[in-house]
Amino acid sequence: MPDLRNRPGLGVAPLVLGGTTALLMLGWAVGANAPETSVLSEFPQALVDGIKFGLIVATGAIGLSLIFGTTKMINFAHGELITLGAIVAWYFQSIGLPLWLAALVAVVAGAGFGGALELGLWRPLRKRRTGLFQLLIISLGLSLAVRHIYLIVFGGASKAYSAFRVQDSWNFWGVSMTPRDLGIMVTAVLVVSGTAWMIHSTPIGQAMRAVADNRDLAEASGISVKRVILVVWMMGSGLAAVGGVLLGLDGSVSWDMGFAILMVVFAAVILGGLGKSNGALVGALAIGLVSQLSTLFSPPELRIFWALLALMVVLLVRPQGILGSRNATRIG
Amino acid sequence: MTKKETAMTEPRPDVLVVDELVAGYVSGVDIIRGASLSVAPGELVGVIGPNGAGKSTFMKAMFGLAPVRGGSIRLDGEDIVGRAPSDLVARGVAYVPQTNNVFPSMTIEENLRMGLYQQRHRWAERFDAVTAMLPFLAARRRTRAGLLSGGERQMVALGRALMTEPKVLLLDEPSAGLSPINQGDSFERVMQINAQGVTIVMVEQNAQRCLEIVHRGYVLDQGCNAYAGTGRELLGDPKVVELYLGSLSRSSRT
Repeated sequence: MPDLRNRPGLGVAPLVLGGTTALLMLGWAVGANAPETSVLSEFPQALVDGIKFGLIVATGAIGLSLIFGTTKMINFAHGELITLGAIVAWYFQSIGLPLWLAALVAVVAGAGFGGALELGLWRPLRKRRTGLFQLLIISLGLSLAVRHIYLIVFGGASKAYSAFRVQDSWNFWGVSMTPRDLGIMVTAVLVVSGTAWMIHSTPIGQAMRAVADNRDLAEASGISVKRVILVVWMMGSGLAAVGGVLLGLDGSVSWDMGFAILMVVFAAVILGGLGKSNGALVGALAIGLVSQLSTLFSPPELRIFWALLALMVVLLVRPQGILGSRNATRIG
Repeated sequence: MTKKETAMTEPRPDVLVVDELVAGYVSGVDIIRGASLSVAPGELVGVIGPNGAGKSTFMKAMFGLAPVRGGSIRLDGEDIVGRAPSDLVARGVAYVPQTNNVFPSMTIEENLRMGLYQQRHRWAERFDAVTAMLPFLAARRRTRAGLLSGGERQMVALGRALMTEPKVLLLDEPSAGLSPINQGDSFERVMQINAQGVTIVMVEQNAQRCLEIVHRGYVLDQGCNAYAGTGRELLGDPKVVELYLGSLSRSSRT
């Protein structure tokens, strides 16, 4: 048998790491040798910004993908889960908590909210055999309602975290980066790789993949599908809360920030391959890179347009997404 | 009548006794209308019958996947009607569905781990025991199940179900969808697993082959027991041959 068949899981981590490293090296090589005035001198900066943006999107996309994978439901309220993290963290840091602690509270609150939604709303609806399309519409309504509650409670103005507001940036090889940027990227890498490890190597993570793969067989194997879905909702919402804090740290916190980024998160999930958690990471990085690199040659206002255009082109060639399998596409 | 006979000829108490079972998915439409079955420890029991007789539904009802409206299912004397599949797995029932019976994106080893999800501490012991029965699974443990052929997938499905060391293994048409050669292997495998002491109830479309390997068989027709007896008795019964084996036996001999 060919060796490839015997190596599951291999390919994704090296692909992401190798691809990113190669891009960075290319970026620095190009940037260092380009004349100061050329757009190419901006290339390294755009790359780093793209990776940062991609990593933030990934924290939202992985949760969305996990929820879709296990429940086959498309959750339009995922943006509000992102906003929740940002707002809760903002509130707790404004009353004097250090930001890391406020972020931790936000993640716990996010996971709790996700779990409450599953127990109070989605599980009863599934029990009544509500169709997937109906669930989608309900999630749209939920998104609208929660978003406007944020508007009332938090107000319409954007607010920044008081910590790390202004920082001196480091400069190296044409890239300027603040300690805050580095903190965002390191946190995102840790959270994303921790999640990937959990899904791949722990029993509950394997059970999540089993439920996503074949729900009936998971049930017939003695896995409590209900419990797995509850854990997925809590984990996905907790991840979204992390994404919200990072997004707020990168820019500012506002009542509709999650909604504004939702389309990008969806694009990342679909680009990577629906229901594949590794796919969400790959898709998010691709979306981040395309959107930031496009600023080299087109107005920054159009960066999301370029990312979505890339999505369309990829889907024309590979309808199942970068890592998706044909079967998964058919189910979705 | 047949139930009493088997009870007398079997000295050990039956593991699974299904009595006058009534089941169906839609209320008012009973697919299983008073079917009975019993299995003694170590036995290999087959259920055959024409298309639409309710064979798969019978099996699903036993595993808590189809609503039961009447009759009883006893596992070691305890009524298990209404219990969830995960509860039945914990009590020692294992089930292999006819189709979609592996986790395609997971490796063979992960498929087996999912079979033992409730008793993870027994992994090393059970992995050795199951791969002793099905060595293929150890040899290819890191291969994704979705990349395997139909016959290979079936080994994964059997292995997954055997991980819990079940008291009774329910097989829903193990030969379905396999090529003639693989079908032969499949029956062979079921016999071998039974020879290792695993109690098996199988539902089969291929009546001739099924009756050739089972200790006892039941003919299910329109949701009721039509005939019962040892495999040899049924194969020798002119009525059974005429009504249920005619076309099937001819096709399986060619």
